[in-house]
Amino acid sequence: MKLRFSKTVAAIASSALLVMAVPAVVASSSGAAVKHRQPLPTYVIGYEGPLSGGNLQLGLNMVFAVELAINQYNANVHHRQFILKLARYDDQGDPTISPTEAQAAVANQKLIAIVGPAFSGATAAAEPYYAKAHVATVSPSATNPSLATKGWNNFFRVVADDSVQGPADANYLVKTKGFKSLYVVNDGSAYGAGLAQAVATQAQSDGAKVTTATVPGTGQCNNGTASATEYQAAATQVVASGASAMFYGGYYCDLGLFLGALSSSGYTGVVMSGDGSDSPALIQGTTPASAANGVLLSCACSASNNAAFNKGYQNLSNFSAATATYAPESYDATNTIIAGMKALLAQHKKITRANLVAELHKITYKGITKIVKFQKNGNIAGSAIYVNKVENGKIVQLGLE
Amino acid sequence: MGSFGHYLATHFDTLKAEFWFLFVGGVANGLLYAMVAVGYTLVYGVLRLINFAHSEIFMSGGFAGYFVLRAMVGATVPAGMTSVLIIVLGIAAAGTAGAAAATLVERVAYRPLRRRRAPQLAYLISAIGASYFLFNLAGKEFGHLSVSDPQPYINHTVFTIFGAPVLMYDLIILVVSVVMFIALDWLVGRTRLGRGIRSVAQDAETASLMGVNIDRTIAITFIVGGALGGVAGFLYGLNIGVVYNMGFVPALKAFTAAVLGGIGNLRGAVVGGLLLGIVENLCVVFVQAAYIDVVAFGILVLVLLVRPTGILGERLGRTA
Repeated sequence: MKLRFSKTVAAIASSALLVMAVPAVVASSSGAAVKHRQPLPTYVIGYEGPLSGGNLQLGLNMVFAVELAINQYNANVHHRQFILKLARYDDQGDPTISPTEAQAAVANQKLIAIVGPAFSGATAAAEPYYAKAHVATVSPSATNPSLATKGWNNFFRVVADDSVQGPADANYLVKTKGFKSLYVVNDGSAYGAGLAQAVATQAQSDGAKVTTATVPGTGQCNNGTASATEYQAAATQVVASGASAMFYGGYYCDLGLFLGALSSSGYTGVVMSGDGSDSPALIQGTTPASAANGVLLSCACSASNNAAFNKGYQNLSNFSAATATYAPESYDATNTIIAGMKALLAQHKKITRANLVAELHKITYKGITKIVKFQKNGNIAGSAIYVNKVENGKIVQLGLE
Repeated sequence: MGSFGHYLATHFDTLKAEFWFLFVGGVANGLLYAMVAVGYTLVYGVLRLINFAHSEIFMSGGFAGYFVLRAMVGATVPAGMTSVLIIVLGIAAAGTAGAAAATLVERVAYRPLRRRRAPQLAYLISAIGASYFLFNLAGKEFGHLSVSDPQPYINHTVFTIFGAPVLMYDLIILVVSVVMFIALDWLVGRTRLGRGIRSVAQDAETASLMGVNIDRTIAITFIVGGALGGVAGFLYGLNIGVVYNMGFVPALKAFTAAVLGGIGNLRGAVVGGLLLGIVENLCVVFVQAAYIDVVAFGILVLVLLVRPTGILGERLGRTA
């Protein structure tokens, strides 16, 4: 509670400071003494996600980006058409708490839309309440594919869902990079096997020769019970297959062990993996660390290359946007909502919850992570999967696949 | 049958092509298993119990070596005599840590039970308790994520066998383990101390009547087995990295190797370890890596059905 309070105070104080720097419009923003214009209407954009509990950091990553977008809109005193406020709804990422928070959000008369919910389970539980009240929800991070199949007209997300990544990775390797022979490994986990299967299927239909193998997760990485000594033999198989590229469906720790073995086995092809391996811990866990160089990592999440955003975010949150997963997406989600509200006014329509939902279905907004345009079911259009590369021990974003 | 024949034919072709590559890796893995298996077998010989805390002795060696490497290896990978010096220091630290951990386990988890003539089951529970305590302590102190060891040498190909590269890492394992096995064989078979160990293994009560200090002999057995386990942990961590529960799977494999070779039999432990390591590696030609353990344990069951006491038979007392 203390955190929420102080942040709200900070937000109000900072916008007040900005307002005071331009004395001519002080009156219009405070609404106390009207001189030139009507007082601007106030709307609330809510954020629903984990703001306490074990997933707090993820929620903080997002809510600061939402707050930044709102502050930036409010600060533009000459052009703003309304005043925005942020309301925080803490669902702890928990599906049993999110319905309560959703009902509280719906009850707030000034609330126009929600950025979030952050987690897929919480979204599934909360969405019926938002749908009933026609509150648009734009999630920066809920990636479960089933969420787009429930017929919720108000549901949007600015990240690709989990079913997009595998085919996009296969297309990238086969079509963009031109690899004709692929060795596809999975770690035996539900995530890794599903991703590897999707890659193998798409690569085959793209015309590549595909060899698949299961190399189970090891006890060394807490991903299974296999012995970490298996990788030397597995690497020999990869080299012997003659494949020019290998895809690994699994997590960073086991991939790190595999990379070490591949390097000592003389493998010279390309290695690619998905978001489960997209972590700096991959490089720390690879022996020698140089064996991780050149590895491609895909993720629906984007690193921010936008200097203005990074600076504003750092000032507001006191931590770097570079490590704040889903912060750029949250910023885009908020700005997409704001763009929708502005578009309504431009068409001389009233800003209502239902009108905003209809507008978001039509909108095209150029964000910092991608061009935001939604499919009919609320999913983001295009593959929207980013590819990163390990270069000199650092993960560098190359761009969209 | 035609398709099965074809399956075998194509896979034997693959085996021919990859045999030496897989063999070299298998020998390296097998020697590591053997170094740990020797620890199980020594303790089984003198106490007739499986030291389930041996996996944590392995882990202590891994971490001791890791800290030495972290302190000694700078930004650039060392070469030449510096590499040798660092590796020797790492081995010394790991061996000491392994011996210390083994002594601790013996003093705290076994000796009090032995004094009270506790039943075998109590030892087993005590060993599992010590194991859980130690790896959770390591998890608390060093974190739960696997970290890789700083590399004290460049892992280049030293020479090739029939086209298969033998890396510096494989060579280090070979040299260190062979030296330790020869030293151990000499210690147990030719020295007064070894005679003590063998006599306790054969008949502890009679040995005690003949003037053998049983407590001291058992303590030394733990130290020797612990030192080997610790060094194995260091060599394993060099390539794979260290983590609080790193000992669990390798120790399970080593225990299997010890039973395969004949529990209580030192040379049997080495044979069992090598066999397990090589067979595991070669079987990826026929089945996916996911089934390595199925094949390995299948072979164990088959061997035990034919020879219940393992390949070389049981007794530490005579065969060593």
